[in-house]
Amino acid sequence: MSDRLRRIEAVTDTALAHLDVEDLLTELLDRVRDLLDVDTAAVLLFDPTARVLVATAARGIEEEVRQGVRIPLGKGFAGRIATEKRPVITEKVDHAHVLNPILRDKGIHSLLGVPLLIGSTVIGVLHVGTLSTRHFTDEDSLLLQLVADRVALATHARTMQIEQAVATTLQRSLLPAELPTVPGLEFAARYVAGGDGEVGGDWYDVFGLPSGWLCIVVGDVVGRGLCAAATMGRLRSALRAYALECTDPAHLLDKLDQQMRHFEPDTMATVLCAMVEPSCEQLHLSSAGHPPPVSVRPGLPAAVLELPIDLPAGVDAGRPRHTSTMAFPPGTDICLYTDGLIERRGSPLDAGLERLRRSVFAGPAESVCAAVMSELLGADHPIDDVAVLVLRRQDRAEMGPLHLRMPAVPVSLGLIRAAVRRWLTGTGADTDEIAGLLVAVGEACANVVEHAYGPGGGTVDVHMTIQPPDVVATIRDTGRWRAPRGQVRGRGITLMRGLSDDVRIEQTGAGTHVVIRAALASQGPR
Amino acid sequence: MTQATVAAHRIHDTAVRIAISGEIDLANADVVQRRILGVITNQLTEVSVDLSGVTYIDSAGLRVLLRLGTRLETLQIALELLVPPDSPTRRVIELSGMGEVASVRPTPD
Repeated sequence: MSDRLRRIEAVTDTALAHLDVEDLLTELLDRVRDLLDVDTAAVLLFDPTARVLVATAARGIEEEVRQGVRIPLGKGFAGRIATEKRPVITEKVDHAHVLNPILRDKGIHSLLGVPLLIGSTVIGVLHVGTLSTRHFTDEDSLLLQLVADRVALATHARTMQIEQAVATTLQRSLLPAELPTVPGLEFAARYVAGGDGEVGGDWYDVFGLPSGWLCIVVGDVVGRGLCAAATMGRLRSALRAYALECTDPAHLLDKLDQQMRHFEPDTMATVLCAMVEPSCEQLHLSSAGHPPPVSVRPGLPAAVLELPIDLPAGVDAGRPRHTSTMAFPPGTDICLYTDGLIERRGSPLDAGLERLRRSVFAGPAESVCAAVMSELLGADHPIDDVAVLVLRRQDRAEMGPLHLRMPAVPVSLGLIRAAVRRWLTGTGADTDEIAGLLVAVGEACANVVEHAYGPGGGTVDVHMTIQPPDVVATIRDTGRWRAPRGQVRGRGITLMRGLSDDVRIEQTGAGTHVVIRAALASQGPR
Repeated sequence: MTQATVAAHRIHDTAVRIAISGEIDLANADVVQRRILGVITNQLTEVSVDLSGVTYIDSAGLRVLLRLGTRLETLQIALELLVPPDSPTRRVIELSGMGEVASVRPTPD
């Protein structure tokens, strides 16, 4: 017996730690086969989603794994062990009751199986079989259970480790690697996993739309680990798709709600959705059970936004949702977050919210985000995971020159216009000046789209800067303009000249650039 | 994608007012042109195009209106363009030489 135990110790040897789950199980099964002198040994692991046992490793009956044998809970030999949570011995196998055709074909005579238990939860089944009749004793059963317990611990730990690694990878791959560059706006974001390093279903997302609108989302899927991270990915994609079709955040969340009711019936998520108008002048917000953002304008104390909090998504798709609109003047910061940021064990939520409110100030998005993280998390690990996103509309002093590079295609024209309009508004240009320059710059860009490139396409660069009292716009391409077709080009240049003070067009072998200059009243006398 | 809406309102049997709103550029000029032509029937004698809801128009948009003007001239249908004085498109229309093919007015007669 002591010899046997020594061999069991070998079975649970930490030297096996470098093996992955499949290799580890195969190695263990070889030793079990040797230990009990049996012909076959197999491990089936329970898949809680499909509620079946899946053959994961087998020796002597390797086909079982290759064919992906699946045994429903409660059915067949393995299924019965998993349901009854106790060892089962079958001396003379009645093939009418064996579900697994491979065991039947192999002509297995006797079977002994034990559950793989973590606490009282079955994570799988370990069974051994012989081709001749074998009388398994209680001692065999105890021995196999001892091995099974150690196998259970090893596989469980390994599965958890892998699951966590996968969840972390998935989570990271789903959060935007880089936040979009939007002239006049700044973003900063952080994601921190919970105290035990486990990721959850928190996410943030920022994306521009072809209409020039910008969508900002912060959300929290109820649950943790791989499952929550995967669900988060699906919800994030669904919201991106719906955002192509509507600009009202309440409507967007309605659609998400319907999507979840149909495709994710057991899921709930809190989501805050904000849509920024192309002009950046206003923000539209809707909250699905999500805590309200904190906003601050220069010279004013930070405030928790007062907006109606509707039901979380995935609860009841029929209830009405609300959209609130707020002004978003230059110099404003808004901090969006998930509840992990303000929740502390033994401390009321309002206290956390108040701490957050006090830590938000009007300043660069990165500085605000850093201050919020340091103030609220400090050196503590949050219990839950945390996502924070700070959005700032730059004020006039912060606005540098405008740089844009877009594909030279017609749809880019609207996006360029939105960015130029926003930038010109920031410089203090008046309505007539903006209207004129939009067309002058738009014409130059439309010329690039129409004439600069062949079917391979290319890009159009727009650079705008202030040289008091003028605004100077440079539109560049790297193509060779073909001869104008129709009368459009002539008219476009007439418009550019009519709407600005000076237009110069330079064509070189490396491309064309158009320089448009116009005096702005706000930039002083000519 | 640049968006514009085109709404037609029949004033009487032989006159129609077409109200355009939104933006017109290279990306949607063809769509706008098709929508405008779609509401002009051969029985009309007067077409009025209301541009007061247009916030942006470039030369591709002007081309649509100019072509409409020359086409209607051939058909002997009068074209009127309504451009309010405070409209962001007023300068562009003025610079376009549109007066040759349409009567440009701030408000309907």
